[in-house]
Formats: sequence, structure tokens, C-alpha cells
Amino acid sequence: MTGTTTGRYEELRRNTAPSLLCELARTSPDDTAYRSKSLGIYRERRWKDYAEAVARVAAAFERLGVVAGDRVAIMGDPCEEWMICDLGAQSLGAITYGIYPTASLDEVEYQMRDGGASVFVAEDQEYVDKILALADRLEKLRDIVVIDATALFAYDDPRLKVYGDLVAAETAGQDWLEQKTTKLDPAAPAFIVYTSGTTGAPKGAVVSHGKHLAATYNIVVHYPMLTEREQRAVVFLPLCHVLGRDIAVTLPMISRLVPHFGEDIEDIGTTIFEVAPTILFTVPRYLQKWASQILIGISNTTGLKRGAYDLALRIARKRAEARWNGELAGPAFSAAWAAVFRPILNKLGFDKLELVISGGAPLPTETATLWQIYGVNVVEMYGQTETAGGIVAGQPGPFSRPGTVGTVPESWEVRLAEDGEIQVNSPDLFDGYWNNPDATARSFTEDCWLRTGDIGEWVDGSLRLIDRARDFIVTSGGKTISPAYVENALRASPYLSEVVVFGHGRKYLTALIEVDYGMAADWARANDVGYSGFTNLAENPALRQMIRDEIARCNEALARVEQIKDFRILHKELDPEEEGEPVTPTRKVKRNLMYEKFGHLVDEMYDDREDRMVAAAVGSG
Amino acid sequence: MSKPLPAASGHFRRSYADEFRLIETRFARIWATVFTLCLLAFPFLASPFYVDLATQVFLTSIGALALMLLTGIAGQISLGHAGLIAAGAFTAGILFKEFSLPFWVTVPAAAVTGALLGLIFGLPSLRLRGLYLAVSTFALHFVVVYLGGEYETRRGFSTGILVDPPKIFGWEIYAPRTWYLVLLAAAGIALLVCINLMRARSGRAWRAIHSNETVAEALGIGIARYKLLAFVISSSMTAVAGALFAYYRGFVSIEAFSMYLTIQYVAMIIIGGMGSLLGAILGATFVTLFPYLIEGLMSALPGADRLAGSVFAVNYAAFGIVMILFLVFEPQGLVGIWRRLRDYFQLWPFRYRPVGTKS
Repeated sequence: MTGTTTGRYEELRRNTAPSLLCELARTSPDDTAYRSKSLGIYRERRWKDYAEAVARVAAAFERLGVVAGDRVAIMGDPCEEWMICDLGAQSLGAITYGIYPTASLDEVEYQMRDGGASVFVAEDQEYVDKILALADRLEKLRDIVVIDATALFAYDDPRLKVYGDLVAAETAGQDWLEQKTTKLDPAAPAFIVYTSGTTGAPKGAVVSHGKHLAATYNIVVHYPMLTEREQRAVVFLPLCHVLGRDIAVTLPMISRLVPHFGEDIEDIGTTIFEVAPTILFTVPRYLQKWASQILIGISNTTGLKRGAYDLALRIARKRAEARWNGELAGPAFSAAWAAVFRPILNKLGFDKLELVISGGAPLPTETATLWQIYGVNVVEMYGQTETAGGIVAGQPGPFSRPGTVGTVPESWEVRLAEDGEIQVNSPDLFDGYWNNPDATARSFTEDCWLRTGDIGEWVDGSLRLIDRARDFIVTSGGKTISPAYVENALRASPYLSEVVVFGHGRKYLTALIEVDYGMAADWARANDVGYSGFTNLAENPALRQMIRDEIARCNEALARVEQIKDFRILHKELDPEEEGEPVTPTRKVKRNLMYEKFGHLVDEMYDDREDRMVAAAVGSG
Repeated sequence: MSKPLPAASGHFRRSYADEFRLIETRFARIWATVFTLCLLAFPFLASPFYVDLATQVFLTSIGALALMLLTGIAGQISLGHAGLIAAGAFTAGILFKEFSLPFWVTVPAAAVTGALLGLIFGLPSLRLRGLYLAVSTFALHFVVVYLGGEYETRRGFSTGILVDPPKIFGWEIYAPRTWYLVLLAAAGIALLVCINLMRARSGRAWRAIHSNETVAEALGIGIARYKLLAFVISSSMTAVAGALFAYYRGFVSIEAFSMYLTIQYVAMIIIGGMGSLLGAILGATFVTLFPYLIEGLMSALPGADRLAGSVFAVNYAAFGIVMILFLVFEPQGLVGIWRRLRDYFQLWPFRYRPVGTKS
């Protein structure tokens, strides 16, 4: 460990994000802090503009009666005001937390009650409607601040305040903010992150100012390119997620990452295309979606173009394998890249990418491999909300062989318990769960190591994730199988967007499948299969047969006991916005809820009464 | 209408000035430079015959752009184009001959004449549409040709008016190379003016009027105003082209402005591709070079000497056939072919845009 790195960790541990902002506004006032697109133009925001905006919001919050220790909830898609409100509230010592923009009414109510926020910041009218439906039941809620007041002309609730009006009335500046931030205690809680939780109610992980900064710094230490030169990033992950916060708020302050906000989260494709980021933090789902869009496009293209793609792919696949073994690029790959992959990547805005970091959920090996074949440096990292914004492990790249989550960053410690559970030790972890000391106690070992709940193993010094501890399937034959491993193997097929494997206590494994509507519809068009919608297509026997073949193909990569013997296709798309749906906003599947909802389909697959009846009928006939 | 996204990634606009840039990507910048250099080097490398051909293309491009604004974009059919060119040429010729006025007075005067004629003959467009409007603009042609002919006979210039080469800042424009560069600049300015008109309020209003007048009016567009504006601007540009033509040829005669000239200009915008400025230039190039191409082909045939007498007849026939072929097989004109070609490479290796953004 180098001395400067250790020093920086300690320095950050004694600091807070708002005072770091003041420092930057003082030392490099005219450097670009971030760019935000509004009315078609990417507006440059310098550190001094940023600090001033935060100062005004902080003053406005103070006027609304926000004091240290109060909670401020923010709900909405990523936008500059989101982080300005967040830092404004933090400057006063208040604790902020974000609510997923896709959260259902029940979830909003739960988090508003559990967190006890006195101010609710709503991005636009959509979230105002959500909170107004609950507001009378929330005793602690005093004010609702609306960022985009476009559609609010018919609202007269006295709690509603318009962000623009509040800010315009304030004159506070950098000096005022500096006075406020010097009073902050770096060890005090800064924000809460509600874990999406694949089991039970969400738990609010409390993270303190200094620990968050120091923990996030381990990403900078692990990926030094972040500080070598200016790196463009695009903000599209929800800011209430700790990874989203790292990218938009924290990393820009401790590295040379410049985040870019699009006009609207729906325009994410356009934003990435325009910005052409040099670094991309993402969750696997996006990488899968973009890859399948490319594959659809190639499958529909003309013969000559497809031929060129196939040829380039053959060259590049060899190259990807050679690269994992440490060999250098040949001219053939450079030609293939320039002729085929660069034009493809350019259409997505991916051609300038130097590093793509996937986190938040396991990245299927096939997806990572495909992107690496295209020449995109995709690496996987592993972190948890409980690691306060830092990572437990990350593939250092460039072009690490997919399959592991890489090595542990400097000055962090990771060990495997006897049952294989990954445990983490660092001075910079979360403080505990909000209002939930039992859960806090359960998440630490006796010697104060964080229990991640994930099972892993070491492969040549790299950490490999096997599965969540509680998810393992033990078949009636006594075999222990990791469902995540099997599911990822199946997700290699572009037609399957979600796969959930069952088989605990059963003879064999079965799967519930959500087909990728885009890919399946495309397949249907190409093969003259008529359909009128998702359900209709999902029921189509020709599609079933195609999926069966796909699964048979994926099964080849699996050991005999791991193979899927039967499957059912879900008749509707999983929608995280819907009440009681077995999928979290980050699209992690809640396994137990899945069984609760679609258990009859699973049981059907193990039911052999029909077979016996048929056999009997044949026998008697 | 917001500006479409750049063709390549990584060009994000940080101010509205960025939105006004005509060239955004590095690829476009490289090709624009190469193309400009080729245009500038051409007169020094090619023979005078080809330099003259290119100069004619520039001159007709100005007229074709003007007609494209009026007919291709604002949707107002005009058959008075030859008349307007004649009006411009005669304005310059008469002012030079009678008052010995210099170049920099006669050309603006031609523009004013054009504008006035455009205003007067644009008035019927407020009531008439389609074929009826076309017939009313026909009147313009005959009025100008009649007046021009009367002037020639009364003043005794029955063979035409001779115009001396113009002088700009003491420089006499006479050499083919000089004319090439002057008219290249003129065509370039005309194109820039048209591009800017197109992306301003006027261009949006014209396209709206073209699509549906009632809807355009409901959107708050002053129909009368913008129709007349289209006529005025288009006629004024056309008259300037006529004045430049007079100086370039050094000679003005009413014989040159026949009905066939109008048909050629209409053909340019149809063959080039309606509604596209690039189409106007491609059409002007094609129609200007076409007769020379036919002539070249015929002289390459065996027994060329015997066919020499029928070159004109073959030319007219071939021109008609090409028009029909375009209308039937390529209604989008040359620009349609260009777009397909460009898309093929721009979308490579896809067939349509499958990912990210729609442009």
C-alpha cells in the first residue's frame, strides 16, 4: 500500500461531501463539475455554480425548518436538482434518502414511515400525485418540494413548494455554505439507502459522511484511470442506489469523472450516443439489452453486411481468447474492429469507451464475453449497499476473463467463512440499518466483519461469486446446485430475458421463463408466426419449440444434474412498477415471491399424474 | 423542428451556437475540405471546355435553388422561370446599355426587378392553386418576353444587347477561370442563403404550407405573407442569376429565354429530387451536362457524321424519356439515390437503425 493512498483514505474519512464541494469550488472554481442537458443543450456546470446552487437549496431547506438529524426523502429520475437537493440537505446535517422512481404506493408509504422524512422532494407531478395520496397519513411530513412544476397548475395543497421559487428567494453563497459545512460531523449519518431486498421488507442502510467518501475512494484506487484524465460518464442509474450516487455525486469529487445528465431518462440511448462516454457504470440488464438490440439488427441486415459481421466476429472471438492469455492484438482484429465493430459501437455511442464496469447483479459470462469480442473493456465489480459505496472486489481489467468479480481493492480485507460466505473488513462500512438493530447485529460477525450473505470462492487470487447463501437448491437426489449459475447459463440465449430455476427437494430442475419480447417478436416476424401481443406470443407453440431448442443448447454447457428438464413461459412481462410483482426495481427476481405467484406452474412441471393417466389409457386401449 | 442528431457519436452541443454549425463530425469536416479543395483546383487542372461546363452548372444551380424554394419547398408551382431569368438579364443589359451603370448597381437592380415581379405574379397564388396557378405564372413569361422583344426592335438591337465584362474593384472579369471562381462563390452564397432560409422560421412555414395550407393557417402561419415571401425571394434570386448570365455570356437576346428553358428548370428540380436543396444542385448538374453527354455518346457511335444533323432531335427525345423514367422509377430523384447510397454506408453493418437513437 502506498503512503499517499492511505493518507487520502484517512483524509476523506475526516471529510464530508458538502465540504469537499466547497473545497473544489474554492480550488478549481471554473472546472466542469458536470453537464446537464436542458432544452437540447448540454449546460456546463462549474464547481462554483454547483456550490452556489447547493448553498441556495440548503438555505431554502433551513427556512423550511430542516435541522441536523432530520430526514429528507427524494423521489425521481436522475437529474441535477436531485443531487443538489441531496447535498443541500446534507449540508445542514440532515439525512437524505432516495426512493426508487418506480416504487409502488405501498413501498413509498413504507419508506416514508420508516425513514420519517419531514421534507419530500418530488421530481415532477407524477411523484407529487404519489405522495399526496399518502400525505395525510404521514404525520412527520411537513413540506413537499417539487422540482419540475410544469403540470402543477391545478394543485393547491399548502404543503407544495416549487423548487425554483424557493431557490430564487435565497441569496446564500459559497461562504455561507462553507460556514455550514465546517460544523458537520464526518462520523454522523449522511444518507440512508434502502436495499431493494430480494427477501422481506426493504432495510435502510445508514451511511455516514466520511466513511462513504473513504469507501468510494477504493473504486478510485482500484481503477486509477479515473484520476489520470477527464472521463465522461452518463448518469442513468437511479441516484437512490448507492452505485448511482457514487457516479453522480461522490466520484466526481474524488476523481476526474464528469457526469452527464440527459434530458430525460427515456432518452438514455440518445444521451449515450451524444456524449460518447469514456467510462460507463451499469447494471448487467442494460448490457444485455443493448447486446440483444445489436444482435437483432445484425440478424435483420442484408447478406453482405451479415457476412462481414460474421467474419469479423470469428476473428475477434479468437482475439478475445488470446487476450485473456495475455497475447497482443494482431492487424486482423484491428481491421475487423475498424470495419465492423467500430461502426456498431458508434451507433450506440460506445466507441470511445475505455472501461465499462458492471455491478449490482451478476453479469452473465456470455454477455461480458460478447462485449469483449466487440472490443469493449467490460469488467465486473462486486459491492453491496452495506459497503457504503465502495466495492468488495473488482476485475482490474483491461479485458479480464469473465467469470470472476476480480481482486480486492487496496487496504480492504475479504475472507471466506467455513460455509463459503464472503466476509469483508474495512473501517469504512455502513453504520447499521435504520430502526433495525437486530438486522444490524445479524449482518456482522463477532469480530466485526461484514457478512455479505453471498457464497464465493477464490480462483487464482480472484473472487468468484457462487450464489446467495439462502438460494442454494438441494435436489431430492442430494445435489447442491447454485440456481444463479444455471440461470446465467440459460440467459446466454438472447430470447430469454429472465430465468428462475426451481428444484429444491425435487428430482430435477425446472425453470420459469420470461421471454424477451423484442427478440421474440423479431423472431416471430422473421418466421411468419402470427401474434397479437405478449401473452399470445408466449402461448404460441412454435415459440415454445424454439425456446425448447434454445434451452437444449444452453443445457449442453451444464452438468447433468444442473440441466433444465422442463420449463414454463410466463404469460406476462414482469413489471417492477406493479404492486406485489416478484421483481425489484433493479430487476432482481424475488425467488420466494416468484414461487408464491407462479407456484402452480412450477408444480405442474413436477406433476406426473397426467403421464400416468395417458400411460394407463394407452395400456388399456 | 429540432435539428437531427449528428451522424457520429460524441458530438454533444454545449450551446445554441453549436446547433447552427453546418459541419459537426470529423468525417464531414474532412470530406467538406477535400471537396472544396477539388472545386478550387478544378479550373487550374481541367481544359477550358470543362471549366465552361462547370461554370454553367454553377449558374443554373442558382436558378434551380430559387425554383426549388418556391416549388419544391413552398409547393407553389411556377412556369414563369425563364421569364424571370430574362427579366434579370434584360434589367442588367438595359441599365448597362442605356445608363452605363456598373456591375454592382445592375445586379442589385435585377434583384429588385425580380422581387417586384415576384410580388405581382405571386398575388394570384393567394387564390389559385396547382394547375391554375401554373397557368397564371405563364403570363409572366409572355409579358417579359414581349417587353424584351419590343425593346430590342425599337432600340435597334434586334440581334441582342452586347454587355461588356464587369469590373469588380478594378478587376475585369473575363477569363474563364475568373468566371468559374466568381460563379462558384455566387452559387455558394445562394446555397448558404437557402440553407439558412430553410432552417429559419420561413423554411418551416413554407414546408407547412406545402403540406397543408389549412393546417398551416391553424398553426398561426400567415399564409399570404409566406407565399408572397417565397415568390419574392425566389424571383429575386432567379433575376440575379439572369443578370449574371447576361454578364457571363456578354450578350442578351430574347431568343435565349424560350419556354424550353422553363421546362428545363422544372426538370432540374424533379430529376434532382423535390424538396431538397442538394436535389436542386444535382438536378442542375444533370440537366446542364445531359446534352453534352448525348452528343458525346452519339459521336462515339459508328457513322457519327451522318447522325450529326439529328443531334438536337435525339437530345430532346432523350431528355423526355429520362424525365419519364425518373418520374416512374425514382420519384425522389437523384437525391433519393444519394440518400440510399449514404444510408447503406452510414447504417453499416445494420440495415436500419436498431439501437440507441432515432435520427
